[in-house]
Amino acid sequence: MAYSEDHIALAAEYALGTLDADERAQVETMMAVDQDFTAMVEAWQQKLGVLNQMVGSVEPRPEVWDRIKAATGLGEPQAPLVLPEAPPPAATGAVAPVAAVDTSNVIRLSAQARRWRNVATFTTAIAAALVAMIAVQAYRPELLPDGLRPKPRVQVVEVKTPSVPAASAQYVALLQKDSGSPAFILTVDGATRNFTVRRVGATPEPGKSYELWLVSDKLQRPRSLGVIGGNDFTIRPVLSAYDPDTVNKATYAVTVEPEGGSPTGLPTGPIVFTGKLIETVPPAVAAPAPPPR
Amino acid sequence: MLTPAELVWLIAAVAKGDEAAFERLYAATRAKLFGVVLRILRRQDLAEEVIQEAYVKIWNGAGQFNPGLSSPITWMAAIARNRAIDVVRKRSELSIEEEPAAMEVAADSPDPLARREMTEELKRLLECVGRLEPDRQKLVLLAYYNGWSREQLAAKFETPVNTVKTWLRRSMMDIRECLGL
Repeated sequence: MAYSEDHIALAAEYALGTLDADERAQVETMMAVDQDFTAMVEAWQQKLGVLNQMVGSVEPRPEVWDRIKAATGLGEPQAPLVLPEAPPPAATGAVAPVAAVDTSNVIRLSAQARRWRNVATFTTAIAAALVAMIAVQAYRPELLPDGLRPKPRVQVVEVKTPSVPAASAQYVALLQKDSGSPAFILTVDGATRNFTVRRVGATPEPGKSYELWLVSDKLQRPRSLGVIGGNDFTIRPVLSAYDPDTVNKATYAVTVEPEGGSPTGLPTGPIVFTGKLIETVPPAVAAPAPPPR
Repeated sequence: MLTPAELVWLIAAVAKGDEAAFERLYAATRAKLFGVVLRILRRQDLAEEVIQEAYVKIWNGAGQFNPGLSSPITWMAAIARNRAIDVVRKRSELSIEEEPAAMEVAADSPDPLARREMTEELKRLLECVGRLEPDRQKLVLLAYYNGWSREQLAAKFETPVNTVKTWLRRSMMDIRECLGL
């Protein structure tokens, strides 16, 4: 794969560590959509990584492992030293609020409301930094050198978006769990408000479907944007029902639902990916400045 | 320290959700990873946070490790180091001006190994770095080991940031050619 010297230098300096925060976000976004570029960055990380052999080891405090265990949910079920059989009813109720779900709709609904509020507030910044480059790839591939242009199938989407003039705003969101591992790329055409969801890794379990939701302060509850289809691309016009401001500022979340989507019209399964839309025009601004020659 | 092959095996087990393997992997690698990020962050609390996040990422991402592309310790260290660099780049207040003591620890090669302890890969890289002009050798190693930004490097070398940019880029391209990448 022939990359320009600009992009080789970007990969190398990412591995070296001298890029600024914006450039690092740019590289991470490129890695999310371009496997060859990822391989190049990883090759640099491997080449330079041998320098770590000369860094002295320092033992972290034991608490760090406790925090890692807590954060990954390791070793929790085994913790209580109680008799395994016949736990008293009070104990099952106290283990986790989840246990009460089946017996009380009130608790379940309020817990869900809290969860969704949290989504709306916490996820705001997650995807924000990573998106500019994808935007360029999705909408202005001609700005990029050959190697960084999206795969041909992305061009298909380009064709399907109406040929609105360049003045029309374009929006992109990475729906992901944490930075560096997007599962879907959501793009919205500002003029038609058609949206496209491109699958970049996630596959639902058998018998389950991924459902996309719009979560907004302006709406009392999450609104379904439909089940994400089994193909690489799902294209829908549903967003035209919402005003632009809502569309732009909403959080987009993906939940795991029974096959075919939530039976209730409200999310019933866990939120697995979230993201926010980023406006990606004008291209002159969206395109990151290349490193100096 | 476990052998690379043992680490590969542990990561494969971690990818399947093996908690005991994860604990062994942590025990075998934590001090190296902590050393790497502490050098960059120079603050115990930040380094602990980064290490915690890195191991959570390793736990979740073990299935993505490709032993054909990376050595296990380099893969893990890159996860931790990238996180550390992200943190320092976003914390502009953590500048060298405010932490003059940090300048003192900035030796170019923090923990010189006897030549026979170096891997072939390290010898080869150091040979290529050694072909750069002396100032640029120092620049590259300070950037890598200390995670310094271009601005910090510019201050250290008393030269404009744009010059540092050019030097860094040229240096990486020279290293690339020398390594035959």
